[in-house]
Amino acid sequence: MSDLRQIEIAQGVDLCAVKTDMFKTGRISVTMALPLGGDIAANAALVYILRRSCAKYPDFTSLNGHLDELYGAALSASVTKLGEAQTVNLSISAIDDRFALGGDSVLESAAELLLCMLFEPKLVDANFTQEDVDIEKRLLLERMLSELDDKTVYAMRRCQELMCADEPFGQSRYGTREDILSLTPDRIYAAWKNMLATAVIRFVAVGSADADEIARSLKKRFESIERRPAATSTRFIAEAGEMKYHSEEMAVKQGKLVMGFRAGMARKDDYDSAMTVMCDVFGGGTYSKLFSHVREKMSLCYYCSSRLDKEKGLMMVQSGIETENEEKARAAILEQLDAVRSGDFTSDTFNASIMSINETLRSYDDSPEVLCQWYSMQLLEDVTKTTEERMAEINAVTQEQISEAANKVTLDTVFMLIGTKEDGEDEN
Amino acid sequence: MKTEIIENGRLNESYYRAEHPSGLTILVLTKPDYTGSHAIFAAKYGSIDTKIQDADGAFRDIPAGTAHFLEHKLFESEDLDAFERFAKTGAYANAFTSFDRTAYIFSCSQSFKENLEILLDFVQSPYFSEETVRKEQGIIGQEIRMYKDVAGWQVMFNLLGALYHENSVKIDIAGTEESIAGISADMLYGCYKNFYSLRNMVLAVAGNVTPEDVLEVADRLLKAEEGKAVQREFKREPAKPARTYVEESLAVSTPNFLLGYKEDISTPERSVKESLCTEIIHEVIAGKSSPLYKRLLEDGLINAGFSFEHFAGYGFACSFFGGESAKPQETADEIKKEVARIKETGISGQSFERARRKLYGGMVMMYNDVEDIARDLMEAHFSGTGLFDTVETCVSLTLEDVNGRLREILDGDTAALSIINPIVH
Repeated sequence: MSDLRQIEIAQGVDLCAVKTDMFKTGRISVTMALPLGGDIAANAALVYILRRSCAKYPDFTSLNGHLDELYGAALSASVTKLGEAQTVNLSISAIDDRFALGGDSVLESAAELLLCMLFEPKLVDANFTQEDVDIEKRLLLERMLSELDDKTVYAMRRCQELMCADEPFGQSRYGTREDILSLTPDRIYAAWKNMLATAVIRFVAVGSADADEIARSLKKRFESIERRPAATSTRFIAEAGEMKYHSEEMAVKQGKLVMGFRAGMARKDDYDSAMTVMCDVFGGGTYSKLFSHVREKMSLCYYCSSRLDKEKGLMMVQSGIETENEEKARAAILEQLDAVRSGDFTSDTFNASIMSINETLRSYDDSPEVLCQWYSMQLLEDVTKTTEERMAEINAVTQEQISEAANKVTLDTVFMLIGTKEDGEDEN
Repeated sequence: MKTEIIENGRLNESYYRAEHPSGLTILVLTKPDYTGSHAIFAAKYGSIDTKIQDADGAFRDIPAGTAHFLEHKLFESEDLDAFERFAKTGAYANAFTSFDRTAYIFSCSQSFKENLEILLDFVQSPYFSEETVRKEQGIIGQEIRMYKDVAGWQVMFNLLGALYHENSVKIDIAGTEESIAGISADMLYGCYKNFYSLRNMVLAVAGNVTPEDVLEVADRLLKAEEGKAVQREFKREPAKPARTYVEESLAVSTPNFLLGYKEDISTPERSVKESLCTEIIHEVIAGKSSPLYKRLLEDGLINAGFSFEHFAGYGFACSFFGGESAKPQETADEIKKEVARIKETGISGQSFERARRKLYGGMVMMYNDVEDIARDLMEAHFSGTGLFDTVETCVSLTLEDVNGRLREILDGDTAALSIINPIVH
């Protein structure tokens, strides 16, 4: 695979560059992380406002017209939680100059545009405009509501919110409805200034562009900014207390069961690759215990899977089931976890899991978007790892360690979305 | 065996095409600097195929959802099922059924030949029993129920139900809980025999793999038989929709809407040129740089989820515009007004060039992804075109082509609107 170069730009700001000409495109992205607890709504709204215009292209229509001219350069913005950090991302992908019809320089213009959005937003009288903020308030609110209209997402979010109600992690990455509704241009402006000064920032570039050149222009941009990066420290709870149960009724046909576990981590350093493999053996691919028993043998559901969030030390299990099968499904899921705990799984399953994780990691090298994300999501790590280094860690996990890992997992919260819609109610 | 190499200098890509003696068409695009490969073994058989042609040429009905049901069941065998076999190689395997295709896929970066052997073997070795069919009715029943709660899915099938009188495109891909209850093991064998002839299928591969690797396995595994490409029945639909409005209530916070224009088609499939012209027209009307988009966004009528699509396949073709809106009816009216206005004025040279550039860029970007390439190879084969036809047609399109196409489509009286309202308590 292509070489990774890591270049320091400013205090708490770096560039990871993967130089390669195997892709048709070049991609550059910026990810900024702040402790989850400041003005969450303003940070979230900010990244979408930045994405909509800049000083050079001051409205959405002219900006998108410019993107069209750049052969449909793809611009995206997102907000995520990384443990108890709020991270915002802006990315742009454009075709490599080799493929431009008129011999134009597409990549440089695309990278320039991204930097313009970040450092020279559209301001009037040194502030964001009320009009832009009002539009973004509505869009952010609708974005939040729209995501929750997906019942699978809703049930997962609700379980985490209830499970981590007393931890910063229990908050929405977009902030509360009230925080969004009360947004003002002043708050957005403050969030922008604060982000450039205090966020931990990582740029990632994948493509044929020269890393030194990108680094030079980035360094210039940061010359005038006084940096004081804020560290994020995520709160971990190693072991669940008494199991909490919550349910809600909704007029849906299919019930959604989510079970939230604590993954035995008291601090970030407790993370062990065996937990990743255990979680995959338990509920990863089609070879996993949950797929082969709860879906295939028992026909209880179309999906039943588990996922580890190592940044927060949680393991979440989710399944879409008939509401009347809740008890049966819960018992079956816990039974399979017990099986993993007692080592009741074959070496075939174990090997399948190791191979599958390796395959996934290797596939990252074939996608500029995924590679960008791989490096972006490590911005808070002391050491940035390549996919090869990660594979070596996974491959060092032994079958015995899987049971040990499973024994560290404790059930914290069960959330059940009860479907109350009867058959025949969906007629028009 | 007839073979050829198809090259494209503009993209600096080429692929290999062979008509294998077994009757199967094999397509391979090699990406030597990639880590992984993606393979698709697909049949021209999807949810719209609700009839089987008998030996005497007559069409006989089969239950809705058989293509999808068969896809689920083909993974099973008397001993190790396909998932268990792929688990031993580490490959990611899956399958999907669309309106007019069933595709079996795997992605891997190691043991390509072994994986291809599993793929070709399991798809050619049907094994169905009444017991496993019954069990699957439970799993697919849950899949169908899951989609009943998904507003974006319901709003589309409700719209198709309004636009089409007879066409089976309006039935959910997985069928209904009632229709799949009528599926038996015997029936699946009958459908398999009819639709899974190698002449009705294609093998498309892209990635770090050579044609020699593929052929070596194909020569060993492909079982030639007397099958033939399946004929589909094409019935011309009335030009106007069955209904112009349909609504349903679901547990959503904001209404969903989908506005569709049905194209009056006298032949079953749209050419590459027709499709591209349509996409350019959509982009000019409602793309993010259009005046309409700006107006709708600023008036609070749409949000980031707004999108449009040329929805076309065998026997159907529509233009869709949709998303979420607090005022779905008003939004649809605004879109219809703009569509009518642009049909009146035609598209300007500048708008055309801009939209064409955007589309071209998207096509170039597609060649980054081996999964997308393999899928496009399959689609091109089933449509009787070449992989590079799209990009070359895009480069050679003229403004007259697009304005000519604009006169053929998007008539106001071919439109229907589907709305999903929030449940009011």
